[in-house]
Amino acid sequence: MTETRTTLREHESDLVVASATAVAEGVVELRLADDSGAGLPPWTPGAHVDLVLGDDLVRQYSLCGDPADASSYTVAVLREPASRGGSAYVHEGLAEGSRVTVRGPRNHFPLLASPRYEFVAGGIGITPMLPMVAEAEASGADWHLSYGGRTAASMAYAEHLVAAYGDRVTLVPFDEQGVLDLATILGSPRADTLVYCCGPEGLLAAVEGVCTSSWPAGALHLERFAAKATEAPAGGERSFELELAASGVTLQVPPDKSVFDVIQDAGVSVLGSCHEGICGTCEQVVLEGEVDHRDSVLNETEKAANDAMMVCVSRCLSDRLVLDL
Amino acid sequence: MQPTPVPLDQVDLADLDVFEQNRAWGMFDTLRREAPVHWNPEHDGGSGFWSITRYDDIERIDKDPETFTSTKFTNLEEPPPEYQELRRSILETDGPRHLALRKLLMRDFTPAQLRRYEDFLRGLAKVTVATALQQEQMDFVDAIAADYPIAVLARLLDTPEEMTPRLIAWGNEIVGFSDPEYARVLVNSEEAEAYRHLPFSSPVSQEIFEYGRTLAAERTGGDGDDLVSKLVNRIPEDGVPLSPEHYDNYFLLLVVAGNETTRQAISHSMKALIDNPDQMQWLVEHPEKMQVAVEEFVRFASPVYHFRRTATRDVELHGQQIKQGDKVVMWFASGNRDETHFEDPYTLKLDRMPNDHMSFGKGPHSCMGSNLARFEMRILFETLLPQVAEIRQNGDIRRVRSNFVNGIKAFPVSIASA
Repeated sequence: MTETRTTLREHESDLVVASATAVAEGVVELRLADDSGAGLPPWTPGAHVDLVLGDDLVRQYSLCGDPADASSYTVAVLREPASRGGSAYVHEGLAEGSRVTVRGPRNHFPLLASPRYEFVAGGIGITPMLPMVAEAEASGADWHLSYGGRTAASMAYAEHLVAAYGDRVTLVPFDEQGVLDLATILGSPRADTLVYCCGPEGLLAAVEGVCTSSWPAGALHLERFAAKATEAPAGGERSFELELAASGVTLQVPPDKSVFDVIQDAGVSVLGSCHEGICGTCEQVVLEGEVDHRDSVLNETEKAANDAMMVCVSRCLSDRLVLDL
Repeated sequence: MQPTPVPLDQVDLADLDVFEQNRAWGMFDTLRREAPVHWNPEHDGGSGFWSITRYDDIERIDKDPETFTSTKFTNLEEPPPEYQELRRSILETDGPRHLALRKLLMRDFTPAQLRRYEDFLRGLAKVTVATALQQEQMDFVDAIAADYPIAVLARLLDTPEEMTPRLIAWGNEIVGFSDPEYARVLVNSEEAEAYRHLPFSSPVSQEIFEYGRTLAAERTGGDGDDLVSKLVNRIPEDGVPLSPEHYDNYFLLLVVAGNETTRQAISHSMKALIDNPDQMQWLVEHPEKMQVAVEEFVRFASPVYHFRRTATRDVELHGQQIKQGDKVVMWFASGNRDETHFEDPYTLKLDRMPNDHMSFGKGPHSCMGSNLARFEMRILFETLLPQVAEIRQNGDIRRVRSNFVNGIKAFPVSIASA
C-alpha cells in the first residue's frame, strides 16, 4: 500500500512555458502549455491557479486567457519590489521552455449572471477582469470597466481593452489623472448591477467602504491579491503551547508539526479533508491566542476576528493557543 | 459488554440477520484478531467484498482515495454502469470536484457557524423533552430521538413544520433500504430493478427529488440563508455549476444524513447510559464534561457500520491479494472497538482519553455534519438528564435490518421525571 498523507489532492499539471512576453512595465505574461496532450481542467472567469515554484514557494495567479483554450493557461505576473520570492522567481527563473507545476484551477471569485456589471481594477488586478469582461460582453450584459494604474506604461492590456471594447473601458493612470474616482464610478447604486473589484488592498478597502454604505448587500464581489502565506517566517516556525479546553489537555506544538497532527496524536477527534487550508473541514473555535492564519478559507474580516482557525495549516503567534475542543 | 467470539468459519457480514440480532460485534472481534483482510462472499448477486476491521488499516484506506476510490460507489450495492452518473453524489466523487462540492456547504457546519443555532436548539430540546415526559412510558426513538434531529434539519432547510413527518418517513425508507419494515421496495428484490436509476434503488428517492426541486425552483435567484438556497445559488469553486441531477442527489443526502445518524447516536447513547448507571450518575454530576462525553457516545454508538471503497489497482495487504476492482469495506464500527486504540473498548467511559474514534470517518470524505451532530447531542442530553429522576428500559430493543446503519427502531423506556 502507498503511504499518502495529503488525502485530497487538487489537479496538478506539469506545464511548459510556451511564451514569456513583457506586456507592461514590470509585467510578464506567461502562456503555460500542456504538452502531454491530456488537456487541462476547465475553468471559468475569476479562477486562479497555484504556481508551485519550489518546495515552500507557492503563488496564486488569476487566469487571464481564454477559458475555451484547453491546451494552455495564461497568467500575467507583476514583479513586486516587496516580493517574498514568488514574482522575482517568475521573472528571473522562468523563460520559454521552462517547466512549472500548476495546481488547480479553482475559483473563489466567480462571475455571477447579471444584466449589468461595474468592474473596478487596480494595477495587476486587471488579470481576472480580462475573461470576465469578455464573458459579460458575450452574454450581452451592460458593463463598464474602470482601470487604474501607476502610469499608462505600467497598465497591462490597457490598449487591448480600449481597442476591443471602446468606451466601455475607462483608463485612469495615476500620474496623469490621480486615483480612481470611486464616488462617481459607484455613485449610483442599482439593484440590477453587480460590482467586481480586484487590485491592491487600498483600492479594495475603498470600494468596500463605498459599497457597504450605499449598495445592496451581495452586490460587491472582490478578490484580494494577498499571497498565500505557505512559507515559514524568517527564523523558522515557532513552537507554542496548545490547550484543548473541553478535553482538559495541554500540549506542545513543535515547529515541525501542525496543530492538526498534535491534536490527533493526543487522541482527540479532529476531522480533516484537504489538509491544505482549502476545504474548511478542520475549522475550530479559538478561545485564546493570536492566530497566524495561513488558510484560503477565512476572509480578511474573519481572520481579524481571531475566533476561528483551520488547524491543518494555521499556527499561533503568541505563546499559547486555546481551542474549544 | 464483551461479545461472544464467533468462529472464523461462521463469520458472514453480508448476512443481515446478524445485524438485526446485534451479533456483528463478535464477528468483528474475530476478524480483527484472525483475519484483518477477509473475503466475504455475497448471497444476493453481489460480487463479494473484503472486510477491513482494524483501526489502522481502515484509516490508511480511507486516507488513500487514489488506491481506494469512492467513485465506484460506497455502499455494498453495485449500481449498473449506465445509472452511475445519474446516481452520483458528493459521496461517490473524489478529487477536485469532491473538494468543490464539499466547500459549497462545509462552512455552514463549522462550530462557529453552528453557534447561531444554539438558542434554537435549546428551545427545541426543551420542547421535545417536555412533550415526551408528559408520559411515563414511551418509545424513546419515537418520543425523543427521531423528532429532534429532523426538526433541526427542517430548520436548516427552512421547510414548513407540516413537512417534518414526511422528512422522517423518507429518511427511514432510504436508510432502511434493506429492512422490510421501512422500505416499500427492498434493495435486493426483483422489484427494485425498476428503480436502479435512483439512489438506494428506492422509489422514495423520486419523491424526495421532486420536493427538492420544488424548493429549488422557489429559491433560485433569492437571497435565502437556508441550505437549499445556498445549493442553488452558489457556484462550486471549480466554476462548474451543480447539474440538476447533482442537486437532486445533494438534497437527498442532506435529508438522509441529517435525519438518521444523529437519531441513532442519541438512541444508542441513552441505551448506554441506562446500561451504565454509574456513568449516568457521573455525567449528571459533571455536566461540564458533556463535550468530552459526546465523543464517547459517538464512538460507542458507531451509527454507521461501514462505508465501501473500490481498489483502483492490485494491492497486497496482510498477505491477501486485493485485486483492482474489488470492493473493500471499511468497518468503522469495528475500528471503534479495536483494543490497540481503545482500552476496554466495550466499556463506556465518558471521560475516555485518548478517544480518536472513527464514527465520522477518517479521510477526505469525513462527515460534513459532525459538528452539528455533536452540538445536537450535547444540547439534548444537557436538557434531558436534569429532568430524569429514573429511567429504565421497559422491553426489547428492535434493530434496523441493515449492515450499513446501526439503527434502533424500537426502544421502550419508562421515565420518572425529576
